[in-house]
Amino acid sequence: MSPSRPPGGRRTPRDELAEATAHGGLYLRRLVRAQLALSLLGLIAFAGILGSLPLLLFLAPALRRVELIGLPLPVFLVAFPLFPLFVGLGWLYQRRADALDEAFRDLVGR
Amino acid sequence: MIAIIAVSVVTIGTLGLGTWAVRFARTTSDLFVASRAITPWWNAAAVSGEYLSAASFLGIAGLAMKMGMDAIWLSVGFTAGYLTLLLFVAAPLRRFGSFTISDFVEARLGAPRMRLLAAAIVLGIAGFYLVPQLKGAGITLGEVIGAPYWVGVVVVGAIVAVNVSLGGMRGITYVQAVQFWIKTFAIALPACLLLIYLGGLPNRGALFGTDVPRAPAAGLVVKLDSPRTVTFQRATAFRINGVPHHAVAGEKVRLPKGRFALPPGGTVPLGQGDQRGPGVVWSRPVGHGGRDGPLFVYSLLIATVLGTMGLPHILVRFYTNPDGPAARRTTVRVLGLLGIFYLFPTVYGLLGRALAPGLYVTGETDSVVLRLPHLAWPGVPGNLLSALTAAGAFAAFLSTASGLLVSIAGTLSYDVWGRLRGTSTPGDAHSRRRRFRLGAVLGIILPMLLALAAGNLDIGVLVGWAFALAASTFCPTFLLGIWWEGLTARGAASGMIAGAAVASGGIFAGLIAGDTVGGALGALLAQPAMVSVPIAFLTMVLVSLLDPSPRVDPEPVMLALHAPEGLGLDQLQEPSPPADASREPAPA
Repeated sequence: MSPSRPPGGRRTPRDELAEATAHGGLYLRRLVRAQLALSLLGLIAFAGILGSLPLLLFLAPALRRVELIGLPLPVFLVAFPLFPLFVGLGWLYQRRADALDEAFRDLVGR
Repeated sequence: MIAIIAVSVVTIGTLGLGTWAVRFARTTSDLFVASRAITPWWNAAAVSGEYLSAASFLGIAGLAMKMGMDAIWLSVGFTAGYLTLLLFVAAPLRRFGSFTISDFVEARLGAPRMRLLAAAIVLGIAGFYLVPQLKGAGITLGEVIGAPYWVGVVVVGAIVAVNVSLGGMRGITYVQAVQFWIKTFAIALPACLLLIYLGGLPNRGALFGTDVPRAPAAGLVVKLDSPRTVTFQRATAFRINGVPHHAVAGEKVRLPKGRFALPPGGTVPLGQGDQRGPGVVWSRPVGHGGRDGPLFVYSLLIATVLGTMGLPHILVRFYTNPDGPAARRTTVRVLGLLGIFYLFPTVYGLLGRALAPGLYVTGETDSVVLRLPHLAWPGVPGNLLSALTAAGAFAAFLSTASGLLVSIAGTLSYDVWGRLRGTSTPGDAHSRRRRFRLGAVLGIILPMLLALAAGNLDIGVLVGWAFALAASTFCPTFLLGIWWEGLTARGAASGMIAGAAVASGGIFAGLIAGDTVGGALGALLAQPAMVSVPIAFLTMVLVSLLDPSPRVDPEPVMLALHAPEGLGLDQLQEPSPPADASREPAPA
């Protein structure tokens, strides 16, 4: 675990992590918490949109009088726009999660 | 005839390519090391290829035609499941190096004894999932060569079992990736061409208006192979074997075996369980109550959104990602690829109600994707397109059924056999391979028998149960195991048992009660995830908190799950290749 340890015996955060010291544990817990917060944020956005759609369609049946590309609006809303939305949300999440990992790597020092 | 050729080409092509690719990969380099070079796009297509099953290819359209547009929530949920997988599971599991629930439970909770429990649930989920694949096979072969239902089930079951035993079509990312594009092409091209040929959606009154499905201008003739009870929505004249009859509105009639004929414009009678309403009611994505009300829709969404991560044949595919970020990138691409595919089942559901109302009379709505092209477009073009959808359907259940059977055989030969014998040593390669083959043969028998008995259950409904079971057992284990240090082995075991008991109890109660229970209870019996998932989570948390047994130090586990790559910690993170890679026998 020590080939990259700087001369003079000073410990880097990576050594602390590798040797599971108190500091290392703290760094890791902070990362896990940040990642979890990000995932929960993603979940809230995703569940908020997906979860409100059935309720909206249930409460506003009059939406069916609007037509889009030959389909009543409720059918259209379920059949098409959710898929690109999922990709967009996933893409945003992936970028943020990778950035968190990157920041952790910088903190721990490479 | 064209259809027979198309199906044969797909079958022989996939089996041959798979076997060849296994040989090739084995002779060049280690299968799993080689796979590290695969890009996220290939991985994503492979995940999607293994995922798209008979339920997606045939089931959603059939269920939409039968029960109405609420069925297209299945398309949404089947895709959305990968978003939850991305948010909570993909990267940590890739880093942890566990790709089956048994390995995860053992490595995370230090509880090798939970393998047997996990194995039992894997068998339950994979079995529930395999039955509809075989049902799809039965009806597809019936369409293509006119064989009885059981012939298709037995033939395809045997093909899959032999294929898996010989090690073909497995671990081969490229084969599964190509399968995805075959399926997408086979469902998209006919749908687009039909819409262009027809100039949009015909019979809009029956789809969105106040009308019900009616016989087309040339009349409707249907051959019934067995007697069937139907209900006439409106007063209708009809003929049975040439003898004129008349039914009043709402009359229930038992049609005998033979030739049933409706005059042009005659109202099509519906079977039990079909959506009875006119187009306005049929096309509601959310109904007013009971089995298409908001409660059912939410329960279905919970099952699919949380169940995907618990499907045994899907997680294994994530091993071919080199690291956590690549697992994330793969999953984002899966969302895009599935989003393309799932645009099309809706089209078949709509066109099926408009142009293939004969399927309501025979109760064969599950074959709408196969039947629609040549009904809507008489002549050679329609026949060609029907051949294409039949080939796609074959690709769908061959790939998914093979993936499921590999999981079943691996679980039987490794977890169950090893546990029951009291050894966890895998034994030598030869006996391992023999046990794996035995597992594959044993593993197909029960699903085959169930598929023979389940001829009148809808494919989409059966798969919904597999998702409910996965969401109530493995989903909470993964989510809590990855993100909560406090989960204990006892907590996880209790939660899985509670979730499995409630979910399967609901499903079987619903099966027995049938359509007699309506309202909220009926909705929850039809799809119990809304109750069983919270129960599983709560049980896991409570039992873990109260668990007096000494804790395993969570720090190394959390490090392995969450520490980013490239820190020089790899010695800590990846002590061994994933056990499921070693548990599969070397392909013969």
